[in-house]
Amino acid sequence: MSEPFEPKIVAFVCTYCTYAGADLAGTSRLKYPPNVRIVRLPCTGRISPMFILKAFQKGADGVLVSGCHPGDCHFDHGNYHARRRWTAFNALLHFTGVPEERVKFSWISAAEGIKFAELIDSITEEIRQAGPFEQYHKLIAETGSVASV
Amino acid sequence: MSIQQQYRSRAKELLQDGSVKMVIGYGEGTTATRRRPIFITNPDDTDRLVLDAACKTNLAGYLLREGLLADQKSVAIFLSPSGVRTINILASESQLSSAQVVVLGFQIQGDTVKALEGTKASDFSPLIAKRKEKRKAQPSHEMTRKLEQMTPAERFAFWEGEFSRCIKCYACRAACPMCWCRRCVVDNNQPQWVNTSSHTLGNLEWNLVRAFHLAGRCVECGNCSEACPVNIPLHLLNRRMTEEVLTAFDHYPGADEHQEPVLASFRKDDPETFIL
Ligand code: SF4
Ligand code: SF4
Repeated sequence: MSEPFEPKIVAFVCTYCTYAGADLAGTSRLKYPPNVRIVRLPCTGRISPMFILKAFQKGADGVLVSGCHPGDCHFDHGNYHARRRWTAFNALLHFTGVPEERVKFSWISAAEGIKFAELIDSITEEIRQAGPFEQYHKLIAETGSVASV
Repeated sequence: MSIQQQYRSRAKELLQDGSVKMVIGYGEGTTATRRRPIFITNPDDTDRLVLDAACKTNLAGYLLREGLLADQKSVAIFLSPSGVRTINILASESQLSSAQVVVLGFQIQGDTVKALEGTKASDFSPLIAKRKEKRKAQPSHEMTRKLEQMTPAERFAFWEGEFSRCIKCYACRAACPMCWCRRCVVDNNQPQWVNTSSHTLGNLEWNLVRAFHLAGRCVECGNCSEACPVNIPLHLLNRRMTEEVLTAFDHYPGADEHQEPVLASFRKDDPETFIL
């Protein structure tokens, strides 16, 4: 019997809000799936779309990008810049056929441990249903590399 | 007097009275329908200039040739409205000073060429404002609409097929006047963002990055699609990005030289429909 598919998800989060939210989820002993690998960055303004492509290049089945709610940014407006970038990049991903469930964006504050846990729960489930990102994995295989996330 | 004759004499005068040191325009190409850029410094050479409906290339990128504008002298250049928008973008990105650019403006309509009034890029702002409204009303490309109706998997397969032909020659980058970075992200190897092997994966990554870096900067001049040796429909990606910044941020690239770059500015009430 084959094992059930467990997706690999990479989360790029800002340290001031979403990372703190994830921390709160942990210290509150909330349960959420272990499928997510968190990469902590100083601000959503530092999260380049290249990171998303890199995660997929390394075999991720899904990516989450998350930071402070508008108005809450530690650097005042990093997330406003990020939002514009995400809008354009998200449209591009959609247009080139990267399925909507593979890349998610969210605002999670330091107080929202529950939101963090629930979101990880729901996106993991969604990607579990969708299965591995075969279309991308095929492209990786052509290069002779193996998925390494 | 034909428009070509008229522009030749204007170019000649500009060089003769010393108001510009060079005229960048179009000359005869290798076939009857091809034009090539020519760079004229001698007033007597201005009769080599050609202006007709085959003059489609956006020449603005040549202004960024190393050192050309470093002496503060002016250069005259043949530009269509998208070329003028390019000047505005390059000025707003501090790549040139628009005061050094004398515009020889023209517009191609079908198989005729129309002269455009004005000499400075800013003279064309009202015309560009009108074009913005026209662009807003323009329906999406037929192929774009077809793509939008496909499932994501079908769209992915379509682009996979297109990108599989890319040979990473970077002609699209070389042809684009907005691709002025000295060091492009694809040339980076520490870290290596884009897979450099000639496989579809890296081609896909390259094309996504190219389209994204031109979002809100592309003037839809067509240089890149024209340059691509394997005919990848780059314009579909560019147009999709243009439509996105226009609808989401009311941004029409190159409206004037004081316009803020769309991805380096923001509004607190920017739309967000997809953020959880
Ligand atoms: S991306 Fe292509 S169409 Fe857009 S400005 Fe550059 S060369 Fe012109
Ligand atoms: S011009 Fe065409 S083949 Fe060359 S790098 Fe660009 S997309 Fe690829």
